[in-house]
Amino acid sequence: MRRLAFAAALGASLLVGPAIAQESQETPPLPKLEWPFEGVFGAFDRGSAQRGFQVYNEVCANCHALRLLTYGDLGPSGPGGGLGFGLDEVKAVAAAKQVPDTNDQGEPITRPATPADHFVPPFPNEKAARAANNGALPPDLSLIVKARAGGPDYVYAILTGYKEPPPGMKMGEGMNYNEYFPGHQIAMPPPLSDNSVTYADGTSATVDQESYDLVNFLAWAAEPTLEERHRTGIKTILFLLVLTGILYAGKRRIWAAVH
Amino acid sequence: MAESGHAQAVGSQEGGTRRDFLILTVSALGAVGAGALAVPFISSMQPARDTLAAGAPVDIDISHIQPGQQIVVLWRSRPIFITHRTEDELKTLQSPQDISQLRDPDSKALQQPEYAKNWHRSIKPEFLVLVGICTHLGCIPGFDPRPGGDLGPSWLGGYFCPCHGSRYDLAGRVFVGVPAPLNLPVPPYNFVSDTVVRIGENPPGSNFDLNSVEQL
Amino acid sequence: MDAPRKQSKVIRWIDERLPIFAFVDHELNAYPTPRNLSYWWNFGSLAGFMLVTMIATGIFLAMQYTPHVDFAFDSVERIMRDVNWGWLMRYIHMNGASFFFIVTYIHVFRGLYYGSYKYPRELLWMLGVVILLLMMATAFMGYVLPWGQMSFWGATVITNLFSAIPIVGNDIVTWLWGGFAVGNPTLNRFYSLHYLLPFLIVGVVMLHLLALHQHGSNNPLGIDRKGPQDSIPFHPYYTIKDMFGLGVFLIVYAAFVFFMPNALGDPENYIPANPLQTPPEIVPEWYFLPYYAILRSVPDIWLLVFTIPSKLAGVLCLFGSIGVLFVVPWLDTSPVRSSRFRPVYRWFFWVLVIDAFALGAVGAHRPDAVIGGISYLSIGRVGTLYYFFHFLVLLPLLGKIERPRPLPASISAAVLKSVPPAASGKMEHA
Repeated sequence: MRRLAFAAALGASLLVGPAIAQESQETPPLPKLEWPFEGVFGAFDRGSAQRGFQVYNEVCANCHALRLLTYGDLGPSGPGGGLGFGLDEVKAVAAAKQVPDTNDQGEPITRPATPADHFVPPFPNEKAARAANNGALPPDLSLIVKARAGGPDYVYAILTGYKEPPPGMKMGEGMNYNEYFPGHQIAMPPPLSDNSVTYADGTSATVDQESYDLVNFLAWAAEPTLEERHRTGIKTILFLLVLTGILYAGKRRIWAAVH
Repeated sequence: MAESGHAQAVGSQEGGTRRDFLILTVSALGAVGAGALAVPFISSMQPARDTLAAGAPVDIDISHIQPGQQIVVLWRSRPIFITHRTEDELKTLQSPQDISQLRDPDSKALQQPEYAKNWHRSIKPEFLVLVGICTHLGCIPGFDPRPGGDLGPSWLGGYFCPCHGSRYDLAGRVFVGVPAPLNLPVPPYNFVSDTVVRIGENPPGSNFDLNSVEQL
Repeated sequence: MDAPRKQSKVIRWIDERLPIFAFVDHELNAYPTPRNLSYWWNFGSLAGFMLVTMIATGIFLAMQYTPHVDFAFDSVERIMRDVNWGWLMRYIHMNGASFFFIVTYIHVFRGLYYGSYKYPRELLWMLGVVILLLMMATAFMGYVLPWGQMSFWGATVITNLFSAIPIVGNDIVTWLWGGFAVGNPTLNRFYSLHYLLPFLIVGVVMLHLLALHQHGSNNPLGIDRKGPQDSIPFHPYYTIKDMFGLGVFLIVYAAFVFFMPNALGDPENYIPANPLQTPPEIVPEWYFLPYYAILRSVPDIWLLVFTIPSKLAGVLCLFGSIGVLFVVPWLDTSPVRSSRFRPVYRWFFWVLVIDAFALGAVGAHRPDAVIGGISYLSIGRVGTLYYFFHFLVLLPLLGKIERPRPLPASISAAVLKSVPPAASGKMEHA
């Protein structure tokens, strides 16, 4: 009796689920991929993430900022041990960008970036970004994987979801049809095509591969301490299981007198 | 009656020692858990990754410093004096008149890396690198290289701290009879080229840590 | 219990001047507690544990957080990325709010089911409602601090509610904001108050425990203890049981903190606040959803001569939904405490539970959204009506007309089953 009521209550709580997930009555369900960082033992695939960084750096960085990271974060002193790049690679990546600074006379100059600098944004401010992008503001990508319902699956779906609009659909000016974007009209044109980048390790750079690698990179960028979190979690829960087991034994023993 | 009955029922079991074992195990595990829990909290107060990164070595171009001139740069939020000493100034460093005024002329106290433990307290004699914080109470001493003047006929040039009158010579060595107890510290530094000095990094073969000095 | 402990000289010296050891011994060790408490009685201590956890993590987070609109979001991300173990403290604190509410809600529903609010525990109950209110205020302000989209817009929507107050409403809102909209002054005062309120909660918790210890805990049978055979000392029985319960709780808590730390949150809050762009859905955190549903269900109310516009009516019902909790001890007329012996009421209790979940679901959706052909707004209206009906009509009425089951003679009698049932009808198992 009571159990039934309880079950009904839990069933009602399931109504909450679909609401908090994406409110997309029209968009199809997201394709679900297996990401290497998901799950209790999840960890970043650094090979893939490094390729993804190359995609970001060569393609996305032209419009999208990554301001929460410094170049040094990619290297050995980065959070969670970085992305696996060596210090020299990191310096080279940084030095390829220019940062505003002042000289000894106090005049504004630009200088090459160092590992201590945050990723140089493509536009100096929001107005410039909008002016260059048809009024739309390309969002910063530092947290994009955590800032969208569906997370990595959503970002992957957007990247691979560009299609021809269905017959009869009127597209807004400058808009592009995307299967998974709410409302189906996205201001960003398809950012990736086959061989947009040439991977240093020779992996074939299809759109799917580039998207997969890019999402792996962005997932790392959003939460570089994920692996430490998983490791600590496993130790903590194992410890708690042992401790709770002993406490249960203790409870039973102590209460044996009363029962 | 019934309550003490409980006590007897529980205590008089042969499981008395077993219960002690249980208490011991739980206490031990609990202590381990509590200790492990305290670590992240205490550790979070240590300098964060970005703070440590901001303390990385800085490269300074010294090619523009004229002889007799000093520049001040910041490293780890501390003022660093880089002084280009003249030949005459270097001569005073070994003169009896200078040495007789000093508390620790041979730099016996650990206030400098081993590669600066010499009569000029530096790698290259003509360039002096010091942490510009008075070893008395932390003011920044002023640079006063001209002999004589307000500081009297025996003043050969050096540093004068305005707060309480401590004096140091042109190698940062402290005078006798002033409040400051120790020579000005020398930070780790290295010449990466003839014109660029890197503050915060030792030359190859040395691993001097500034925190090892007697007093900053 | 152990044989009387040999009191060390130090302990006796201290106790003579400040009787803390005697106090602990009296209130924690020897303190007589009903012997039949179920695991539903663990949730009070769990709530106390969560309060301590939130304060501890909060203090360390406050060492690294910057309460300024230009820096707040980034300071939180710095905690996540650069501060040693910062991600752990943030996730413990963030999920801790949810778990604090989970254990507190269960604790409250336990009180409702077993009549723990009835004489002589009315004040104990009311103090509890005060704690709940303080928790809600603290959580609301805390959620603003990361200065994400939901932080800003949630603050805007909820503070705007006060403008519904006639005549002085707009002035009150301006005063709350410290400006013309939610902004830096608002953030700073919320930070100050968010730091303060938990210590007020600590104070009220102490009063709550003081009130509890006057008469001791209620129990699943709802009958008073008749003698020492009905009690057992708190230590070691309930200390070990509470510790075990804590262990189980921590496993669930850790599962969220370490493996699904954002499951209970809103992704929108990982976007920095933008006063010029409203998110597609403004949704509060899950623990506020039922109240949010009530707020949005209420239409204009026509009262004889005048109309209460729906916004004000919604606000009144929102605060009314908590206000009604205060007077539960007087609304409930049943002579019997525990729903175990209230065959009719116990069904309605579970309806209330389902109602709470349903209202939560409603709060998460847009009012015009539809499920199975019915709009969430309609469900919300029914749910709100039932909520107030339950407290304002059912509780007073049922107590008078329901025929309770016969109560056992005493706690120990029921537990030991040494006395045959007093009358016909099944005896519920302990």
